[in-house]
Amino acid sequence: MTNSLYLVKPEIVVTIVLVCIITFNLIFKDKPQALPWLSVIGLMITSYFVVEQFSYNSFAFASTDYKGLLVTDPFGAFFKILIVLSSVIVILFSISNKELDSAADRLGEYYSLIFGMILGMFFMVSAADLILIYLSVELLSLSSYVLAGFTKNTLRNSEASLKYVIYGGVSSGIMLFGISIVYGLTGTTNLYEINSLIQAPQINQITLLFAGILIFTGIGFKISVAPFHFWTPDVYEGAPVTITAYLSVASKAAGFALLIRFIKVTFIKSINAEGYWQVINVIDWKSFFILISIITMTLGNFAALWQNNMKRLLAYSSIAHAGYIMLGLVVMSNEGILAIIIYFTVYAIMNLGAFFIVMLIANKIGSEELDDYKGLGYSTPVLGISLAIFLISLTGLPPTAGFIAKLYLFIALVDAKMIGVAIIALLNTVVSLYYYIRVLKNMYLDKPGKEIPKFSASIPNLVLLIALVAPIIFFGIYFSPVVNLAKSSLTLFGF
Amino acid sequence: MLEQYIPVFLVIGFAIIFAGATVFSSEIFGPKRPTAEKLSTYESGMKPIGTTNERISVKYYLVAMFFIIFDLEVIFVYPWAVQFKKMFSDIGMPVFYSMLVFLIVLELGYLYAYKKGGFKWD
Repeated sequence: MTNSLYLVKPEIVVTIVLVCIITFNLIFKDKPQALPWLSVIGLMITSYFVVEQFSYNSFAFASTDYKGLLVTDPFGAFFKILIVLSSVIVILFSISNKELDSAADRLGEYYSLIFGMILGMFFMVSAADLILIYLSVELLSLSSYVLAGFTKNTLRNSEASLKYVIYGGVSSGIMLFGISIVYGLTGTTNLYEINSLIQAPQINQITLLFAGILIFTGIGFKISVAPFHFWTPDVYEGAPVTITAYLSVASKAAGFALLIRFIKVTFIKSINAEGYWQVINVIDWKSFFILISIITMTLGNFAALWQNNMKRLLAYSSIAHAGYIMLGLVVMSNEGILAIIIYFTVYAIMNLGAFFIVMLIANKIGSEELDDYKGLGYSTPVLGISLAIFLISLTGLPPTAGFIAKLYLFIALVDAKMIGVAIIALLNTVVSLYYYIRVLKNMYLDKPGKEIPKFSASIPNLVLLIALVAPIIFFGIYFSPVVNLAKSSLTLFGF
Repeated sequence: MLEQYIPVFLVIGFAIIFAGATVFSSEIFGPKRPTAEKLSTYESGMKPIGTTNERISVKYYLVAMFFIIFDLEVIFVYPWAVQFKKMFSDIGMPVFYSMLVFLIVLELGYLYAYKKGGFKWD
C-alpha cells in the first residue's frame, strides 16, 4: 500500500499547502495579502509533480485481489495541469476582486477552500473506483458550496449558496443510489472489474441502464448539462465572480474528465480498427449523449438570448459550451477525446478572460448589467477590445483559438459520419453569435445614459490580461503546440 | 425482462391503496365530537407552557458541529486501535505515522476553531 504513495505526490502537496495556509493565517493574522502568493507558490510545486505524472501509466493502491482506487496516466495529468493553471489564474484574479473586501478577515478560509476544491478535482480526474468517485465529487462540492456563498452579507450570495447545496445534495444522493445498484449487480466498486463483470449475459440489462443513468445524473450536475443545469444561472450570478469563473472552468473540466473515464472504462468493450469504441450492448450511450448534448446547447444558447446580466449570460453560454464539449464524447473515439482536450484548453483561457473583464468592470462601475455597459468601449478601450476578442473566441470565429477548438470538434463529428449533429451544432453557433455580439453592440454603438469617466486596469492586471489575450490570438494562428499537447495526453490507463 | 418486477409493483400499488384507504376512510366514517379538552395540546397531562417555535441560539449548532468532528475522529481511531497489533506486524511504522498525520490535521482544525473564537459563547 505505502509504496504507491509516490503516485499521489501532487495530492499530498496540495494537502500540505492547504494546512500551511491555515497555519499561516493563524500565526500572521495581519498579513492576508501574502496568502495568494503562498497559494501560487504551492501550486507551482504541485505542477512540477503533475508534469512528472505524464510518464506514469499505472494503478495506485492496488493489491493482489483488488485493482486499485485510482490511476495515474497522461490523460489525468493533462486535466490536473488544466486545473492547476486555472487555479493560479483565479487566485491572481482574487487579489483585486472588490467583492472579497467585505470578507478580508476570512481570506485564509477562502484560499484553503480553493485548495479543498483542487484536491477534490485531482481525485476526480484520476478516480477508478465508484467510492472514490463519490468521495471526490463530495469533497469538491462541499468546498464550492461554501465558496459560492463566501461574501455572505449580500442576499444574492446566500441564495446562490443555498440553491447550490440543495441541488448538489439531491443529485449526489441520486448518484449514490446508482452506485449502490451497480455494487449490488456486480459485487465490486472498481470500474475495471465492473467492465469485465457486466459483459456477462446474466446481468439484468434494465437495472444496469437505470443505474448508469442515475450515476450520470451526479456527474451531469457537476458539468451542468441540460436536465441538470437549473442551478447554474442562479449560482453563477450570486457567487463572487472569481468563484463563478472557477466553477465554470475547473469544476467543469474535472467533471468531464470523470465522465470520460467512467464511460470509457466501464462501458467500452473494445476499440475497432478505425478507432471507434465498441459499447457493451447494455445502454445506447451514443444516442443518449446525442440527445443530451443537443438539448444542452440549444437550451443554453436560446436562454442566453434574453439575459441582461453579464454573469447570467456567461452562465448560459457555459451551459451551451458544455453541450458542444459533449459532442466530443458522442463521437465515441479517440479523435473525439482529442477534440475535447483541445476545446478545454482554449475554453479555459477564453472563459476566464471574459469573467476577468466582467470583474474589472464591476470593480469600477459596480454593476454587471448589460445596460450599464453602454459606451464602455470608448471609456475603457483596452478592456473593451479584450472583451471583444474573448467573446469572438467564445463564438468560434477565426482568427481566434475558439475557431480551432470548434473546428476539431466538427471534424471529429464529420469523420464519424454524424453530419446531422454537426449541422445542429453549427446552427447553434450562429444563434450564439447574436448574444455575444449584443454585448459588443452595447459597448460600442449605444449611447450611455450618463457620462462615464475614462478608466483602465492597474498594471499587474493589465499584464495578466495580456497573458490571457495573447494565447487566444496566438493559438488561433499557430495551433500545433495545443494539438501536440493534446495528442500526448490521450492515453487513458488500460487502453 | 420486466415481469420479475411485477411483485415489486404489486407491493407499491397495495401500499398506496392501503395508505390512502386508511387515511380517507377514517376521515369519512369516523365520528367527530370536538371539545376544548380534546383540542388542547397534549403535554403529559400538564397545562402547556410557552410556544413550540422557540428560537435556539445559533451557537448551539456550532457546539454540535464540533462534537460531531470529534465523534467522527473516534470512528476512525477505534478500528485502527483494535487492528493495530496485526497491522503493525504486517506493515510496520507507517501504520502509526498515517494515524499521526490524520490526528495532526484534525488538531490543527481544532486549533483554528479555538483561535477564531469558535468556543466563545458570548
